Amino acid sequence: MNIDLVIAGVGGQGVLSIAWVLDHAAHEAGLYLKQSEVHGMAQRGGAVSAFLRISDQPLSSVLIAQGSADLLMSVEPLEALRYTQLLKPSGWIVSDVTPMRNVPNYPAMSDLTQVLFGAPRLVAVDATRLAHKAGTIKAQNMVVLGAAAMHLPLPGELLEKHIAALFARKGERIVNANVHAFRKGDSASRFTSALLAAGIAGDLIAKVVSKVHFPPHPVAPDVLAAWAQRLRSPGAAQLIQGLQEHDDLTRLATHAELANQP
Amino acid sequence: MTDLILLGDEAVARAAIDAGITAAYAYPGTPSTEIYQTIADHAKEFGLPIRGFWSANEKVALEEAVGVSYAGCRALVSMKHVGLNVAADPFMNLAISGVHGGLVIVVADDPSMHSSQNEQDSRYFADFAMVPCLEPASQQECYDMTREAFDLSERLQVPVLVRLVTRLAHSRSQVQLAAPRLPNTPNYVADPSRFTLIPANARRSYGQLIDKQAPLSAFSEAHPYNQLTVVGQGHTGILVSGLAWSYLREALGEHLAQYNVLRIATYPLPVKKIRQLMDCSSDVFVVEEGYPFIERYVSALGLLRERRIRGKLSGDLPRMGELSQDAIKPCFGLTVARALQLDGLSKVLVGRPPQLCDKCPHSDAYIALKEVIAELGVGVRVMGDIGCYTLGYLEPHQAIHACLCMGASIGMAIGAAHAGMTPALCVIGDGTFTHSGMAPLMDAARENTNIKVFILDNSIVAMTGGQPTMVSDDEVIQLVAGLGVARDHIRIVEPTAHKKHQTMATIREELAYTGLSVIVARRACVTYAKEIKAIKSHKREIPVVAA
Repeated sequence: MNIDLVIAGVGGQGVLSIAWVLDHAAHEAGLYLKQSEVHGMAQRGGAVSAFLRISDQPLSSVLIAQGSADLLMSVEPLEALRYTQLLKPSGWIVSDVTPMRNVPNYPAMSDLTQVLFGAPRLVAVDATRLAHKAGTIKAQNMVVLGAAAMHLPLPGELLEKHIAALFARKGERIVNANVHAFRKGDSASRFTSALLAAGIAGDLIAKVVSKVHFPPHPVAPDVLAAWAQRLRSPGAAQLIQGLQEHDDLTRLATHAELANQP
Repeated sequence: MTDLILLGDEAVARAAIDAGITAAYAYPGTPSTEIYQTIADHAKEFGLPIRGFWSANEKVALEEAVGVSYAGCRALVSMKHVGLNVAADPFMNLAISGVHGGLVIVVADDPSMHSSQNEQDSRYFADFAMVPCLEPASQQECYDMTREAFDLSERLQVPVLVRLVTRLAHSRSQVQLAAPRLPNTPNYVADPSRFTLIPANARRSYGQLIDKQAPLSAFSEAHPYNQLTVVGQGHTGILVSGLAWSYLREALGEHLAQYNVLRIATYPLPVKKIRQLMDCSSDVFVVEEGYPFIERYVSALGLLRERRIRGKLSGDLPRMGELSQDAIKPCFGLTVARALQLDGLSKVLVGRPPQLCDKCPHSDAYIALKEVIAELGVGVRVMGDIGCYTLGYLEPHQAIHACLCMGASIGMAIGAAHAGMTPALCVIGDGTFTHSGMAPLMDAARENTNIKVFILDNSIVAMTGGQPTMVSDDEVIQLVAGLGVARDHIRIVEPTAHKKHQTMATIREELAYTGLSVIVARRACVTYAKEIKAIKSHKREIPVVAA
């Protein structure tokens, strides 16, 4: 077993906290790890990244070779695109869709999502809004980690244990918010995978998942089935249009109920 | 597993503590900062009696460590690669005098210049000074080789340089620690003439340094990390060193078994082993992180033709930047893997350079300065310096037009003024000013040179993560006055949007004066507000005399 992960974001978005949780979980699982990170000048609002390699065999390089990362998680959509040359053609991208516009030439959101949503294996979540609903907007990184979790060789409970350890000194409320954020991300990811397995096109899924409010637990099978059916129906385009026009996230159940209506 | 997950820097720090250091000194600089930070944090947490601090600069840090060594105890000094330029004077001379208590200098090089102005290779400095250099290739080796460096230093009475690179310093892995040992009991050096480098003593000491080269070579020849693997006569050979060893193993995988390989982890070079490799190999590739140091030696710059030596000088490997497994693959006929392709990627993928934080006092200082400069017409140049405020070169400020090395702004402004440039302006932070800006300011004060020095006093060394500065607030004023600057022309402004017009008026007044002015833009860093508060309250608690 050998898995290469790229974690991306902007300085201050908690890239190193994601890496910390994964490092300690991998270590407790008895796996070898190498993790490189960025310090210094780039941390001032610039692009930051961490590479994490986990294996049951001793590892050599701290760097990830081109085309060999299994998964790329990003706390910012433009930053997700910065490292795609490291990703295997079959690799997963997990990304927040909320832009951090601190450069004057930041691309138009429609252009950016068009490129990002073209990725064949993508979990696109509004991690910022989901984190806010989980209790703190700062937990956007834990939503992203949660959305990556089902593709990692580490049990969710182990990751949650180290999330709790990381935030323990900030008190129970912050721990719970971060764990909830993690679970919301996981829920979005499982929803995405199920729809992909049901044959729904990736860009349609991304348009739905990035606009829906997920609960801190997996979505019920009947709700999932209703969504799959709805996205296969002629009304899918209109449904997605409706989601896009709504500024905030739409509650998942509402549309499931709609789908069940005759 | 009971081991710890440590950065390369942290592994060095823990090794120094476990090796029984009495003191550690450093000047912050990426990628070396976490070494001393870890020592200080660990000593504080566990109440260890380890002395030391963030020194005034790298030269002073090394001199302080030499004092510890003179007194028979062990010391660690850490700095980034360009810091060793600052410490070059004590470094070169310490090689001559030798050490008493173990003294290890850890230097973190920055190939690819992630956070530096050059990618100089510290192995040249070790070679120049004729002192040994150890080059770890993993976090575990960072720990083991730092421990070993102290043993070697005491055994052969030489300072030992441990060379890290950014990717090692700033990457984590599991590290197993060994049993700690106690610090030495102070015992002054028996023969002080060794440390008194008047010519008569220095000649003798230099002879002793030359005599130490044979046991140092023997150390390298016998070192288990300098492992020679011969798979057969006439196979291609590989000479690999430092972190490049980790990339080579990754790039070649099972193909590595087809090559004769000599890994080098210690210097002086194990010449006999290199001879053995060359005797049994056809072409020899040299794969090393940094400058083509080994390649220059073994290829004799291409003057000897007995073997084809291939590496950075021959163009087989990239001459600049850090290596990676992908950079190495083409040398050995291996292809780089295909990656995910996304349509339209190049159209949307814009850069995101670092920038000054929101509400940063430097931004307001630059805004005021630039508006005054604009009134003077085009062509005004501002000499910059090293710190967060170097980002003032970039959009949106574009307010500085030079950045050479720590403290250079003031000297460059003096020279520019002598060449007829008016106004001659320079900008320097409070931390960089005390590192190496005071000496050039004394030059300007002696002559009353017509330069305008802006000291951006934000009360912290921010770029490297919030280390305390030597002076801030009124201490800066006292220091500047003490260096000989006229009190009337030491001005204080508050860099805020609110006070912009007052700041601009002050700058205009000083520009109208022909002579030396120092304008201190005083406002605390917003990002490290909490740390600054802690530092300032701690300062008040410090007893007058530290025993």
